[in-house]
Amino acid sequence: MTAGDGAAGNWSVGELMAVELAARLRDDDVAVMGTASALPQVACRLAQLTTAPGLWYVAGGTSSVNPHLDPVVPSCCDYDLLRADTALPLGDVVLMEGRADVFSVFFAGGLQIDAHGNCNLVSVGDWSRPSLRGPGTVGLPFLSRVGRVLIYSMSHNRRTFVERVDFLGGPGFLGGPEEWSAAGLAGGGPALVVTSLATMDFDPDSLRMRLVSVHPGVTVEEVRDATGFDLIVRDPVPTTVAPTPDQLAIVRELDSNGVLKGR
Amino acid sequence: MSKVVSLESAVERFVPDGVGLLAVGGMHLHNNAMALVREVIRQHRRVRRLLTSPCGALNADLLIGAGLVDEIATSYVGFEHLGLAPCFRRAVESGSIRVLECDEAYITHGLYAGAGGLPYVPLPVGLEISDVSKVNPEYYRMVEDPFTGARVLSGAPLRPDVALLHALQADERGNAVIAGAHFVDRSMALAAKTVLVQVEEVVGFGEIARHAPGTTIPGFLVQAVIEAPGGCHPTASHGAYRYDEEHLMTYLARARDATGVASYIEELVTGQSEDGYRAATAGRVGALRYAPAAAAASATPGEATRR
Repeated sequence: MTAGDGAAGNWSVGELMAVELAARLRDDDVAVMGTASALPQVACRLAQLTTAPGLWYVAGGTSSVNPHLDPVVPSCCDYDLLRADTALPLGDVVLMEGRADVFSVFFAGGLQIDAHGNCNLVSVGDWSRPSLRGPGTVGLPFLSRVGRVLIYSMSHNRRTFVERVDFLGGPGFLGGPEEWSAAGLAGGGPALVVTSLATMDFDPDSLRMRLVSVHPGVTVEEVRDATGFDLIVRDPVPTTVAPTPDQLAIVRELDSNGVLKGR
Repeated sequence: MSKVVSLESAVERFVPDGVGLLAVGGMHLHNNAMALVREVIRQHRRVRRLLTSPCGALNADLLIGAGLVDEIATSYVGFEHLGLAPCFRRAVESGSIRVLECDEAYITHGLYAGAGGLPYVPLPVGLEISDVSKVNPEYYRMVEDPFTGARVLSGAPLRPDVALLHALQADERGNAVIAGAHFVDRSMALAAKTVLVQVEEVVGFGEIARHAPGTTIPGFLVQAVIEAPGGCHPTASHGAYRYDEEHLMTYLARARDATGVASYIEELVTGQSEDGYRAATAGRVGALRYAPAAAAASATPGEATRR
């Protein structure tokens, strides 16, 4: 998919992204994730097994608490995810997502992700007669409630990374600093964006997306070309740290079916 | 008196043509009550409004593909990692279905409100930011919080006229046990006026009592139990078998246009009885069964409680 697949390393982009997300998780985090979340599940498990043993994570529709991922499965509602430390009824998780003091990390994504980190899984074009109807917003409106939003996307291209979402499903920094501070939301907003090409965060003044690092084998120009808005770039741009053999060994033991490789 | 009835008579008796609000349980590719859904299509029952769990899949897409659904209230219809929902997508893009856009919190709490007779349910501050409530004024309204005076988002109660659910087992009195994750299926059972439960197996009275409280649907909420082994196929039945990815991929390919989904429905749904479907798919379902050890090892909430 990118040069990172072959020339620059023997890991897949999904594996690299999981390792990159894991590095942002803290020992005192309680993370929650939803639809098609195999990648953040692996990131959380990897963090638990390495740098953040105190982390808790709640996975998807099964609401499994610390699923063992033996092995990783692609669907967030899979019966296999119930091999876990424990599990909650989904309704309990949805209930507590309404509080700002339970979950500190929420993984998000979208058909569209914009310059201020707003996410859209609903529709492209006019909502009432869309040119592309997506599946729907599920839990993304809760992004306004959680501490740190970590966005992940396997589709870094101009259709996905747009200046402004056509439908605001998951709030990021809204229209920018003024609107964001006026809203006075409980959550801290989007903290990080990890894609198939690069890692990005948000400029503290403009609250616009800014390049943190490009993945091995990817150039800054490639990332700019694949982004539908002006990405903030500070020279020099470092290269994302590649997974270590130890990290890869853990990821592959969890993902014996190669779910992250196939993505 | 036994609540166990045939699939045909359950739909004939309890799903009126033009049903006002029909809820379909299960979530993503799991526990979709497909035997019931297929029978609704065979009997050509029109659905004025369809309600999914936070994430509908084939249950919703097939009903839409059959041309039976006027409106849908949902927060997601799709096939998760396998792809977008072709019939839902086509219907919305062409304007042939009306969408009542929802989010997961509203569906969950709205069913709770429906189950409890709450006149409406206030929603967490911050949910009013998304566009969801703005495009669905029928279900979402801003109200004044009587305690603080703040303007807060609220949702209307959801009371399905009929809920089509799947459970692993039930007894003849309608007591049912859901294996694995419950999603919002128990809330649907609590909120709906009529509950139809398809099960892998009807068990003797008293068997369900061996399961932990909280994992079950009590029979007094249930109008009909339908024995439909393999009846979630091609979706998964928690505790019984996995989803049939190959069949689902075939569906996604065939449903890409209206002619294709019509031929799928004619061949696999209306062209045969559910017994025929079961016979044709029994081999595939058998191959997808969980090994007994995997089933026993699961930490369902109910089992955790029991320990």
